[in-house]
Amino acid sequence: MPTDGIFDKTISLLERSLDLRSLNHRVLASNIANMDTPNYKAFEVIVAEEMNRYTESAAKIPFVRTHANHLPDKTQPSNQVNLKAAKAPDFSLRGDGNTVDIERTMGNLAKNTLLYNTAVQLIAKKFNGLINVIKGGSR
Amino acid sequence: MDFFDAINTSSAALSAQRLRMNLISGNLANVSTTRTAAGGPYRRKEAVFAAQPLDQSFKRILADRQNKHLSTVRVAGVVEDRNPPVMKYDPGHPDADEKGYVAMPNINVMEEMVNMISATRGYEANVTALKAAKDMALKALEIGR
Repeated sequence: MPTDGIFDKTISLLERSLDLRSLNHRVLASNIANMDTPNYKAFEVIVAEEMNRYTESAAKIPFVRTHANHLPDKTQPSNQVNLKAAKAPDFSLRGDGNTVDIERTMGNLAKNTLLYNTAVQLIAKKFNGLINVIKGGSR
Repeated sequence: MDFFDAINTSSAALSAQRLRMNLISGNLANVSTTRTAAGGPYRRKEAVFAAQPLDQSFKRILADRQNKHLSTVRVAGVVEDRNPPVMKYDPGHPDADEKGYVAMPNINVMEEMVNMISATRGYEANVTALKAAKDMALKALEIGR
């Protein structure tokens, strides 16, 4: 949702990114927990795609609901996230139908954590800037 | 260049080395197996690795032409060793032929042990590379502090 006033759109975008990354972390943790569960299919959140979807829908003009019985506007950003089946290993020696590639999952977990930290730092810097303005600069 | 190319490359390599390790375990477990579903003795299995460019999309190739030498590893296939089975004289063995020879798997235990060390070291090296890539990214984040 675009926020007005002193908080610009970057903060809400970063918020969304943090939400998606924390969801992705839970998904990856679930994959790791089920690395030995027969027939478990690994899945993942493609954060970049979800962010694209979010910014595309945020750019549209919203419909206004003037009555509670009006149908909701599906083009608006919703909190729904698409989970996709993760790529199964090219070659698997196991016959139990499990598609978790533990090394790839751990790599993705590291990437996800790094990008989460990056977003946290960006958001913190944004707030620091605001605090600086509120205080009237360095005095 | 994608910031996470190193992590992607190392994770693929880790996966490949683990598969190799599993095959070596299978070979060692079947060092004296004379009966298989396909008939005959067990045949030594080996993974074939192939280098694979990181990303083959047109956009990506055009965008980072300086990275065209970067490639990750992929398991191209699992093949059976074509060496003939080792004939061992053991007339008492139920699978012995009329001359008393048994076809034993073409597995050399020493060779498997050496391959196992190589797979372990390969795995360790990739873990180190992945960790280093992660630490570098974390160091970069410290600039913003």
